[in-house]
Amino acid sequence: MSQSPQRLRVRKLNHCYRDTSVLKDVSFELKTGEILALLGPNGSGKSTLLKRVAGILPAPRPHGQSQSILYYGLDVEAKPHSWRASRIAYVGPEFISAPYSFPLTAEEAVFLGRSSLNRGIFSLGSRAVHLAVADAMRRCGCWEWRARDLASLSGGERQLVGLARAIAQGASLLLLDEALSKMDLNHQVRVGQLLKDLAAQDYSIVLVSHDLNLASEWAESALLMNQGRVVAQGAISDVLTEAHLAELYPGCGFQVRPSPVSGAPKIYFPQK
Amino acid sequence: MAIVSRRKIYALALIACGVSFALALRLGAVSNLTWNEIVQLRLPRAVLAGAVGMGLAVAGAALQALFANPLCEPYTLGISSGAALGSVIGISLGSWGLVWGLAPPAFLGALVFAGVLYFFALRPSFGNVSLLLMGVLLGFFGTSLVTVWLALSDTNGLQSVMSWLWGDFSRARIHGAVLALVLNLGLTFLIILRWRELDALLTGEEGAASLGIDVPAARRGLILLTSLVIGVCVSGAGMIGFVGLLVPHWCRRWVGSLHLALLPLAAIVGATVMIVADMVARVVARPNELPVGVVTALIGVPAFWLILFKRNLPMQEQVR
Repeated sequence: MSQSPQRLRVRKLNHCYRDTSVLKDVSFELKTGEILALLGPNGSGKSTLLKRVAGILPAPRPHGQSQSILYYGLDVEAKPHSWRASRIAYVGPEFISAPYSFPLTAEEAVFLGRSSLNRGIFSLGSRAVHLAVADAMRRCGCWEWRARDLASLSGGERQLVGLARAIAQGASLLLLDEALSKMDLNHQVRVGQLLKDLAAQDYSIVLVSHDLNLASEWAESALLMNQGRVVAQGAISDVLTEAHLAELYPGCGFQVRPSPVSGAPKIYFPQK
Repeated sequence: MAIVSRRKIYALALIACGVSFALALRLGAVSNLTWNEIVQLRLPRAVLAGAVGMGLAVAGAALQALFANPLCEPYTLGISSGAALGSVIGISLGSWGLVWGLAPPAFLGALVFAGVLYFFALRPSFGNVSLLLMGVLLGFFGTSLVTVWLALSDTNGLQSVMSWLWGDFSRARIHGAVLALVLNLGLTFLIILRWRELDALLTGEEGAASLGIDVPAARRGLILLTSLVIGVCVSGAGMIGFVGLLVPHWCRRWVGSLHLALLPLAAIVGATVMIVADMVARVVARPNELPVGVVTALIGVPAFWLILFKRNLPMQEQVR
């Protein structure tokens, strides 16, 4: 898989819900080993963009000729669902908020991540699958709760299970939509370190978050969206500027200063 | 995923199934039957009850995962009513309507009602509560039409109404019973082969899509398979509620929700429960016979309440 460093190339993506256009000619690229923060106000099209890339939202018909989602040059939307799922994993807010009407242990939920990989009828008891599940859960620090029912886990704990499921899925492009939002500081630090480790192993990660200060700590690049359009893309310190923030969140008067510890740009609220 | 204890559970279930089958041959309205009479009268009944119980439990488990709703089953979704309606219309229209005690037009009725449900369930505004209400409405509609049709066309109308709406194994013939068993075994196997899709659907529609499942295709295939199973069940025994609802829930408690483990156990336990229910229906009011659906409902309704209040699902759904 070393054809090109561009793992994902999205070109001129458009999407409408009924008459409302939520994505307007969105283009961006994601390198192998890159952590990209996808930022923007509510309703800017971040989640829709991720769901299109993950194949959860079907491509509109008729398919615009010019728009495409390419994974190492291959058209994602023309490939079968299982092909996509073994390369692209998505963890969204639905995983946290679902009612879970049926008993499902954390370990079984992570096992579900193998849905597109498990071929044989005996893979339920297969040692390789068991090891993959256990490894993913250990990396996310949720192995201790493997026997607990998903419905009894807190939001942050479920998010760790969701992340473990994405890793167990065998995909190396992770799309995380508000997937760290409910973790306590302890877990945020741990998961941030995990994301950096994964990136060092050539995973690529897209991180949607409203917590700009958290995102700037882990991501090296950022994509700024507003009203379905890309406002800016580049290194996080070039994108997270007072000028851009004034455009995205008008009237808030945010100030940006580098963190004294890590040097990453941080947002400060204006004086009262 | 304790595989060893699972094996014990399967073994216990199989033993229970065998014991209940033997008891069903032994017990009945009359106590001193010859072996020949038992083979002619009680064997077809026990085989058919096992086949129907297996089918209803597997279809119930599949429908619950399919709609991500623990209150789904062939009866509450009204699909059974559709099958019953198809059966009675078919039977009164021609001699092809009843083959070896089975009514093939039941398939058509089940498919039509499941199709209506599928059509509505696809709309994004359709939550779990609406789906269930839709099923209840379809069920009422179907059973009313069954009653009207039988009253108008059948000479002993009300008796037939009882047998179709409350379940009845007395029409069982050995050929039909074996055919129903073979069909349901085959269809159950085909449903089990779709365990990956069912598992992924436990996490909801978007969850399943992100796990690499073609959700519309999975739904179409599973609706078709479950409708066929329900068609087999209703064509042989009329409408029997609550077995398809409760057995999957009991089994989930023992082996979890993953379908490769759940469906085979649900099949065995479903068969056992139905054989026992039919036995109770035959014995409890000797020399009269209760409709088997009454027995399952008397056990099923309180258990349904328990699930409803414990999980509190419909309330959560409305908030979402």
